[in-house]
Amino acid sequence: MSLYRFLPAPSHRMAVMWTLMSVKDAIVLEYGPAGTTHYSMGLFGSMGLSNENRLFTTHISEDDVVMGDVSRLENAIVELDASFKPKVIFVMESGVTSVIGTDIHGVCKHIQEKVSAHVISVGEGGLRGDYATGLCEAYKTIVSQLPVDGAQQQQTINILGASAGSYRITSDVWELKDLFNRAFGLRVGVCLGLETPVKEIQQMSGASLNVALRTEAIPCAEILKDRFGTPFVYGSPYGYSGTLSWLKEIGVALGVDINEIVEETLAQKDQESRQNLMPGMMGGIRQFNATIVGDYDLLRGISAFLKEAGITHVNMICSHGLKDVTHKAEGITYFETEKERLMFLKSINNHLLLADDVSMHVAPKDNMGVCVSFPFSKHPQVATHLPIMGERGADMLLELVERFMARPVTSTNK
Amino acid sequence: MIGKELISQMKKLRDVERAKDIRQLTYSIFPGPHCPLMGAMLAVRSIKDACMMVVGTEECTYYTKSTTMNNMFGGMDSPCFSVVMNYHDVAFGSHKKIEEAFAELMSEYTPKAVFLISTCLGEIIGDDIDAMAETFSKQYGIHVAPVHTEHFKSENHIPGIANAVTACLHMMKDMPKGNGINVLGQRFGSFSSTELFRVLSKAGCEVGMALPGGCSVSQIETAASAKVNIVVDATALELAKGMKESFGTPYVRFERFAAPADIFKAYTELFGYLEASLPSEVEDLHKQAVETVGDAKPSLKNVRYIYGNTPLPTYEFNAFMVSMGMIPQLIQTVELPEKPHEYLDYILENSDPYVVKSANIAPLQYVYDEMKPHLYLGHEYALRLRQKGISLVRTDQASAMLGFEVTQVVLSELTRAAAEAKELEKERAS
Repeated sequence: MSLYRFLPAPSHRMAVMWTLMSVKDAIVLEYGPAGTTHYSMGLFGSMGLSNENRLFTTHISEDDVVMGDVSRLENAIVELDASFKPKVIFVMESGVTSVIGTDIHGVCKHIQEKVSAHVISVGEGGLRGDYATGLCEAYKTIVSQLPVDGAQQQQTINILGASAGSYRITSDVWELKDLFNRAFGLRVGVCLGLETPVKEIQQMSGASLNVALRTEAIPCAEILKDRFGTPFVYGSPYGYSGTLSWLKEIGVALGVDINEIVEETLAQKDQESRQNLMPGMMGGIRQFNATIVGDYDLLRGISAFLKEAGITHVNMICSHGLKDVTHKAEGITYFETEKERLMFLKSINNHLLLADDVSMHVAPKDNMGVCVSFPFSKHPQVATHLPIMGERGADMLLELVERFMARPVTSTNK
Repeated sequence: MIGKELISQMKKLRDVERAKDIRQLTYSIFPGPHCPLMGAMLAVRSIKDACMMVVGTEECTYYTKSTTMNNMFGGMDSPCFSVVMNYHDVAFGSHKKIEEAFAELMSEYTPKAVFLISTCLGEIIGDDIDAMAETFSKQYGIHVAPVHTEHFKSENHIPGIANAVTACLHMMKDMPKGNGINVLGQRFGSFSSTELFRVLSKAGCEVGMALPGGCSVSQIETAASAKVNIVVDATALELAKGMKESFGTPYVRFERFAAPADIFKAYTELFGYLEASLPSEVEDLHKQAVETVGDAKPSLKNVRYIYGNTPLPTYEFNAFMVSMGMIPQLIQTVELPEKPHEYLDYILENSDPYVVKSANIAPLQYVYDEMKPHLYLGHEYALRLRQKGISLVRTDQASAMLGFEVTQVVLSELTRAAAEAKELEKERAS
């Protein structure tokens, strides 16, 4: 079952690209056929990433492929360094240069002495896995190479694992910054994976704590712990109780208490959100089903909240492979083939469907679809204050649940 | 980056002997050209009852499908399918995987034709999609056309369009000749909205196949019944030659010409093949176009321009602008026609432009400061150009036109932009 009728999961390489492109004052240079670069502009644009003077390609000719000539790449690095004076140049391998065996690391090492920018080679041709693996690699690449020791940035928290490929991530980060401020009076140092200047990344070793929002950011957090001794907490705040326990864990790691008002508000809202669990309020015994399609940590976080809010059963369909997830939570399914995933989606009726554009298109229309995941090309993001995470995200999710539960009963959801 | 330095590295058009000699303005480019895969997608997407199966990396397949998911290109259910290659396929070939995917496709859908599209990786490892296409065609009793789209052998997406269009030749059957025409290379808009269509309709001439602009597989199959093929874009030239060789169908090159004389010549040739007298309307339109040229000349004389990318044939359009007294400072293109060439020779006799490869607008900013053109033709940021005193010429509206209407719209836009450039010059001076 090798056929894709819709979209394959974005590759390792695509995720590396969109993560590295979030580093300000850096340039991403692709060594390969130019068409991929041009083609990618639409996707990166929909993620809110700026391409201009940030992304370049060398293109590659048949002569280069046959003869293995890398002078085009060397010249391009020197030229970009002189023209734009970037702090960093990330040099990306392509599928073609990977298969013909170009020694991209060797070229970058050799050219480093001729340029001022820090040249970092990323040897990934896009054949090694999906975007989850790519995110993991990209975060590791950045923190292994850029942060320096001895930075003075006390009283800050770094966010690791924000990804431009996550729907509403800018709003989520806005919410997290607000939560850190309200709960602990702390500000965010670096938000790795979203628009962050090289200079700030270099200083990220001074933070009090790193918070890994997703499982793919754990190895990066471990590198920072090893290099600079910065402790880290893993998890994303979804739902009221999820947000509160997440904040508590951060408070423990920081050795500080949560602001009382924040704690009380979240606890109060948590109590109120559980009212739907009382069958009497729902006019009898009704089953409410939901299906979530998305990234691993989003599935875990939102499903827990939906259950607290009265959803009886939640299906969790992961959009990426789970081989890199060390402690896999129960109940999360990854379909190896598109056909199996489509068959499942076509079989659900009257579900609250929190998913991506394709899943919502495929599932029967009696489901109540809401976009929470990638791909989201039909859902442009303008607002930066409509999170899915945190207290405000939980407010939004609870409204959805209540609207869903108030829908008329049909023969299939009695 | 210094503009003077960039210019010193450019070649003059007169010094270039082969397309390969046209230099890239810089070693690093942005946004770079589109790839032949996209070209093939653009050609195949509008053929009814056909679908495409792209074999490549996640990136190639993802971007192609996501483009077709745009409502403009077919929406979510667009008939674009993919087979994703991984390391195993690179090592052992993707034949088995493609075979499996093809069987799945045929069990769920009923296309009359499948375009089997290979990309860079498949071409490097040598997957034989020609043989696979032949096998599938016999096995499933439908047309399966192989299309090769490796980008490292070309400079842009155009060969992908040409390859997909040319692949249709094998779907055609020999037919008794009728009185209709085929339109080959209809890439933009609908042929039925063009002046050429209007003139042909009035003359009682029927349009058979408009490829790739919205034809069906059955129309392709019966395309050889046409009396003459009209080639409206160079991407269909190979197909036209193939049809002439296989079925004896003559062809006329009637591209999106700008010069009234070229358009008139194409009309005359076309009606000659149709064995019909040239309609008086064509004579009238020609006369009007010549008058417009005369009116526009004074305002376009000595207007300097940089040529980027337009839907018109590069050399014909530039020769036309040179004939209007305009001065080409830099032409961006990846094509070089074989010499001697009517339009190229005319350009070189009357001007001395530089030439660089297209689709690299980032470093051009520095070139503008040195060359100080009045106009830029192609896709650029209008506001940024205005800040440098340059007016952007928009020619996309001509993309769905054929005939003297092209002359009219192009001259109207050129004169508008030239007037704007003069205003900008005054503003900057004050």
